[in-house]
Amino acid sequence: MSSSTSSDIVVRAKHLGKAYQLYARRNDWLMQVAFGWWKTYFKPFWVLRDIDLEVKRGESIGILGRNGCGKSTLLQVICGMTLPSHGELRVNGRIAPVLALGSTFDLELSGRENVMIGGAVLGLKRTEILRQFTSIAEFAGIGDYMEQPVKHYSMGMKTRLAFSICAHVEAEILVVDEALAVGDAAFQRKCLDWIDGFRKTGTLLFVSHSMAEVRRLCTRAIWIEDGRIRQEGEPSEVIRSYHRALLVEKDDVHRFSAAE
Amino acid sequence: MPSVNVVNGKQIVVENLNASQRLVRFAAKPFVQMWHHQDLIAAILRREVRDRFKGSVAGWIWAVVAPLLAIAVYTFAFTTNLQLPMADNAAGPRVGYALFIFSGIIVFNFFSEMAFRAPMLLHEYTHFIKQTIFPSDMLAVISTLRATVYTLISIAVMLLFQLAATGSLQWTTLLMPAILIPFIAFLVGISWFLSAVGAFTRDAGYFMINIVPLFMFATPVFYPHTSLPPPFDFWIYANALTGYVEVMRDIVLLGKLPNWKVYGWSVLTSVVTFYFGYWFFDRYRNVIVDVI
Repeated sequence: MSSSTSSDIVVRAKHLGKAYQLYARRNDWLMQVAFGWWKTYFKPFWVLRDIDLEVKRGESIGILGRNGCGKSTLLQVICGMTLPSHGELRVNGRIAPVLALGSTFDLELSGRENVMIGGAVLGLKRTEILRQFTSIAEFAGIGDYMEQPVKHYSMGMKTRLAFSICAHVEAEILVVDEALAVGDAAFQRKCLDWIDGFRKTGTLLFVSHSMAEVRRLCTRAIWIEDGRIRQEGEPSEVIRSYHRALLVEKDDVHRFSAAE
Repeated sequence: MPSVNVVNGKQIVVENLNASQRLVRFAAKPFVQMWHHQDLIAAILRREVRDRFKGSVAGWIWAVVAPLLAIAVYTFAFTTNLQLPMADNAAGPRVGYALFIFSGIIVFNFFSEMAFRAPMLLHEYTHFIKQTIFPSDMLAVISTLRATVYTLISIAVMLLFQLAATGSLQWTTLLMPAILIPFIAFLVGISWFLSAVGAFTRDAGYFMINIVPLFMFATPVFYPHTSLPPPFDFWIYANALTGYVEVMRDIVLLGKLPNWKVYGWSVLTSVVTFYFGYWFFDRYRNVIVDVI
């Protein structure tokens, strides 16, 4: 660890925390805006607490945890979509977020038109998209549906197209959030192969509930519980203790309540 | 340079700039952003413009039919013997009055389209804002550009009608960009402000739905402002739209250069609104992601 220079570290988080503001009454936010300097009207709900993380160039990190433990929020914070409420964060390099695949598609537009918009959102120039278009279409493998409105697509077809767009962004850091769950086995394998290739040059942050994928792709695993890092290390080891915990610890109904 | 650098909820930008350099950077920032995201703006604008007539067979014909119908109705109303109290006050013949109203309505519709849409603008794009790295400040620009396209169609219809009815156009019509550009900047500023407020509360939308129709009468759309008693002068110009409506009429219908005081006032409100709107949006953009 100590031998690596700072330029090798693409993501560095120190004591990272993220709190959402929970209001007891619907209109309390207005009081907060008006009188926030005097007293607070919300309960902070800490989704992430005290996260320390260093990701080196070329590493692949698998992130495990139950629903609502803060995995997705962590990814959103790292991508810069939302600011952390506490702590330090530094990210070096171009990020391609593969979160909630296909949710930004316009259902009325054709696949082709959505590729143009989706690519632009990910920061591709129009000329770059046009140049890569055949390759995107080929990777997605949805054939003539490319010219049909996306509303006629199946869930899997949407995922294929969306992942295909993301795969053509030349990013240094790829952030993948449970993206591959919907595709069929053949497409999943294609995506995993692609990610495998990507890992040779880039850094990967990978959230998945499929332990097989994590084991195959990741060099390190992080288990997040209750917004904190519970365990970190060798993927197979972390997966083993995570599995054990899932069996022993019951699904806690109070997990989503704000702390008193 | 790191792409994200945050300490305790504050974005850190390391730089040593004095006050005037910071001011220049602030003034340039919206334009730098627009330049940087030009391809994204173009891609979404293309979809937005198409969106308007989505699912209709006639499509773009509607964009031309609507203003044509409007001007036909005004002409009918003011060239037949319908008695209207204002008709004699207006400058020029009755066809002139139809044009007078139509030019006012074009400016006002441009404003009202923005005012109605802006509070819901960020809600329309929630997926983009929450799931992707998206420059949400460009949405106001995109939606204003879309409305600009329709306004230009209406203006073209008006000019064609003017040419057909009076046989000529005023040379000062060429000055139109000099008023359209400040007006567009004014509307972008308003959209930034309203979309940020609208992200926090839907009340902003309901407020606009109630207030905008009233504004139509507080703006000299159906009457020249000279028909009001002088004490109202201050208030009618306090409504920034008045300036744009009057300058537009001066150059398009009357063929004279605008009153420089009115024009200067319009440009001033435009610049102030534009930068206030951007400052306001920028200040709250990080909070907006979490509340929307």
